Amino acid sequence: MAKINLDSILEGRRSQPHMLVEVLLDLQDQEGYLPEEALKTVSKELGVPLIDVYRVAHFYKAFSLKPRGKNLITICTGTACHVRGSDLLVNQVRGQLGIEPGETTADGQITVECVNCVGACALGPIVIHNDAYCKNMTPGKLRRKLDKAAGRKKEAKDA
Amino acid sequence: MPRVSHAKDLEIIRSQADGRKSRTRLELVIPNGTCCQASGSAALIDAVRAELARQGLQQDVSVRVTGCLGFCEQEPMILVEPGNILYCQVSAKDAAEIVSRTVKKGEVIDTFLFLDPVSGKRIEKEADIPFYKAQSRQLIHMNRFVDPFSIEDYIATGGYQAIAKALKEFKPSAVIAEVKASGLRGRGGAGFPTGRKWEEAHEAPGDEKYVICNADEGDPGAYMDRCVLEANPHAVLEGMMIGAYAVGASKGYIYVRREYPLAVKHCRIAIQQAREYGLLGENILGSNFSFDVEVARGGGAFVCGESTALMTSIEGKVGEPRAKDVHTVREGLWGRPTVLNNVETWANVPSIVLNGAKWFASRGTERSKGTKILALTGRVKNTGLVEIAMGTPIRTIVYDIGGGPKNGNRIKAVQTGGPSGGCLPERLFDLPVDFDALWDAGSMMGSGGMVVMDDKTCMVDVARYFLKFLLDESCGKCVPCRVGIDRMLEIVTDIAEGRGRPEQLDLLQELAETVAEASLCGLGKSAPNPVLSTLRYFMEEYKAHVLEKRCPAAVCKALVTYSIDAEKCTGCGVCLKACPHDSITGEKKKPHVIDAALCQRCGICIGECKFDAITVL
Amino acid sequence: MLQYVNVTIDGAPVRAEKGTSVLDTAIHFGICIPHLCHIPGIHDMGACRLCIVEHVKNGRSKVTASCTLMVEEGMVIRTNTEKILKMRKNIAELLVAQAPNSKAIQDIAVRCGVKEVRYPFRNEDCVLCGRCVRICKERAQAHALGFIGRGKDRHVDHPPGRLMDYCKNCNGCIMFCPMSVTPCGGPMKKGEERLCGQCDSQLNADAQKMPGVCVWCELGKGFQCTRYLAV
Repeated sequence: MAKINLDSILEGRRSQPHMLVEVLLDLQDQEGYLPEEALKTVSKELGVPLIDVYRVAHFYKAFSLKPRGKNLITICTGTACHVRGSDLLVNQVRGQLGIEPGETTADGQITVECVNCVGACALGPIVIHNDAYCKNMTPGKLRRKLDKAAGRKKEAKDA
Repeated sequence: MPRVSHAKDLEIIRSQADGRKSRTRLELVIPNGTCCQASGSAALIDAVRAELARQGLQQDVSVRVTGCLGFCEQEPMILVEPGNILYCQVSAKDAAEIVSRTVKKGEVIDTFLFLDPVSGKRIEKEADIPFYKAQSRQLIHMNRFVDPFSIEDYIATGGYQAIAKALKEFKPSAVIAEVKASGLRGRGGAGFPTGRKWEEAHEAPGDEKYVICNADEGDPGAYMDRCVLEANPHAVLEGMMIGAYAVGASKGYIYVRREYPLAVKHCRIAIQQAREYGLLGENILGSNFSFDVEVARGGGAFVCGESTALMTSIEGKVGEPRAKDVHTVREGLWGRPTVLNNVETWANVPSIVLNGAKWFASRGTERSKGTKILALTGRVKNTGLVEIAMGTPIRTIVYDIGGGPKNGNRIKAVQTGGPSGGCLPERLFDLPVDFDALWDAGSMMGSGGMVVMDDKTCMVDVARYFLKFLLDESCGKCVPCRVGIDRMLEIVTDIAEGRGRPEQLDLLQELAETVAEASLCGLGKSAPNPVLSTLRYFMEEYKAHVLEKRCPAAVCKALVTYSIDAEKCTGCGVCLKACPHDSITGEKKKPHVIDAALCQRCGICIGECKFDAITVL
Repeated sequence: MLQYVNVTIDGAPVRAEKGTSVLDTAIHFGICIPHLCHIPGIHDMGACRLCIVEHVKNGRSKVTASCTLMVEEGMVIRTNTEKILKMRKNIAELLVAQAPNSKAIQDIAVRCGVKEVRYPFRNEDCVLCGRCVRICKERAQAHALGFIGRGKDRHVDHPPGRLMDYCKNCNGCIMFCPMSVTPCGGPMKKGEERLCGQCDSQLNADAQKMPGVCVWCELGKGFQCTRYLAV
């Protein structure tokens, strides 16, 4: 595995244990997940015991310890979206991709996460595809989006 | 960049802005917050700018890109001033027409005006729209005058005059007295008197003190703080500066949840600009007061909205709350005296200093002064951000502002205060929205979320939803919260799935009361509220589930059956294709059938059917 | 030099050492407040909530954990009001429903007055009391153990790799773990979970009739309650 460059993330933050969350957020943004080797380096450079680095990595939803798929689909399950049927979107994912929220498809194309409210409540149900906010989502719209993301053509059932 | 080293420098910038404004014939205000962008406002802005340039109109017509204006469902929108003309749900392809007809010729285009769902009429002026009329828009109103990327816009509206006045005319203790007299109470949920909090921090021993802005806004269904922070970050900064001056702090943090990337960006830019202008840093406005602010990002944890958890998060640790026998105003961030206030609380401070405590206290009720921004969502016609004077009855908010029920169903309840709050039934809708009235009724104001529920909402399902949320977000440290919520959820799930027993209702009540008193932090202590309030006001729904194995709202999957109405079904086959469980069969153009044994009641077919042919019993 | 403050616990005036917790003070004076996550000499967490008491101030009483509450001059504490006893019983009931197969947990439940368990039994082998984690951190200073995960996912674990890479073999975690004290008859058979209360043999009076009095019971043998340790 290629060595990860942590210099820009650690610059100005070495030996400052209180920067741990910011450092990990930057690492997550840069690599898409938190690689084990990088966490060991962070522990050493910031002066935080490795167990505490892992505590933080597992506590906050922002962090993923496994690589994420090419497409990150985030379904908002906040109250307003729930009342408008976000459960249907989660069911759609289960039925169509066979994975649970938090998991990635076997081909590494799609990771699905749930988030407890992104603050766009009047436009719910909301699905965020990588950085793009998609409003008023329905299972049908999500089905088409997932098909496109997986690079799949229409199912044989439609024939 | 001109440095602002004296209050009169602010005046110069302000008059320069006034001068620019007087040379402008027309102003197009286009909101571009997170919600707006999700609806396509960015493309609209580009199209409008391009069209103005193409028609050579950019000299005396200005475009101001702002944050959220509150009427979220109607975005993208353009507000044309002067004239107060509001165009709703317009897109990039409408830009050419708007520029040619409205901007160039002053024509009002009817089809772009707001269509009132209650009266069926088009309304030209924003101020005449019923959604806005019953509101008391102090804070949100300022959003239209400010481009969040421009500190000069903020200064032009009188920004930073309050800190200038405080530094020149008030000793710190006088600032505290003014805030105390105003009656301002924390807008984050607890409603603690802000002046008293500042006083305790001021009196706490220690030289190193902090002020923090809590922008963790984790309540699902609440996004007021996101709106204020994206749209007018300088108002929050100025409030924090005044607070820091009052308590003796020289460093501040704005803790923003990472799910709000735009708010993080806008705050960072605002801080950068304030530093460049000399309004943050050493010797602000030529005084002895030095203050700087940093943005700290959350990692994704609802519990970090709790003050001690938020502070340990800034310290780089996990967000686990600690006992608050010693308050954070004495021992907070790094054990130092810390004032933690909510975004909306800070944003209210500059106007209190500028206009005085009496002005602020002239609005609101006896013990809840000022205004409150609410996020009105759910089963009403008009959803969005609403600002009301404290004391406005729930009924006014739901029917006059919200426009009444969507889809003609009967409105049954409102849920206020997010997962820490409770559900209030329709018969209590004459209650005024203020801290104490809601608390006494078994709910709370919380951060301001108000979800409207109709008779297609199952209150047992609502309790279950919030318990699931809180179990997911609990830090897990203490037994009553971690295990108690788990067991409450187990009982409510039993009830929702038809396995409920009458003695479980008593156990649920007893367990809820224990969790409420014995938990370590506010998350656990308020976790039982949705359960307790639904048991109190909607016991008949619980009883129906337990004694009759029936869900009155036809929501709980285990207790309902889906079937296709053969008279309405056209045999289009859309549901068959959509069903992920292969439970629907039928030939083209003939009525389809659902196999109840395979059907998982996921609800996808209902969403897909265009003929309303699927019934739930 | 030691400083003292005057506090009142259950109506009894005591001179407490400044800087100690209400829990430590109570136990020292023979007032039993049931507890689980407290270890003498180790930083308190306030996680189990068994040691809750009512702190009476300005006419109002606040429910708070006594292990994290430091004594102050004039403090008034009630350890066994009806409300507190009920809550403590409910918390103990939750614990024993999670982990019935530990004598220590069963003893605590009986001590707190639990007669029947109204929840389906689960068979967790850890109650997340945090004793092992804190012993490892504060006594051995090995940082080999920590709480990983949030909410229901919270569990005790070590950093990736082998535990032996970090552990100093002090055996503190095993010594202080309540789950390592199994009931007399061995682990309960599935479907036959019940509380007999027979292991708490030194407590020959009904626990309910003498709340708050230390009887030098074998409560949580291996728990090292300070009074028991002092023998």
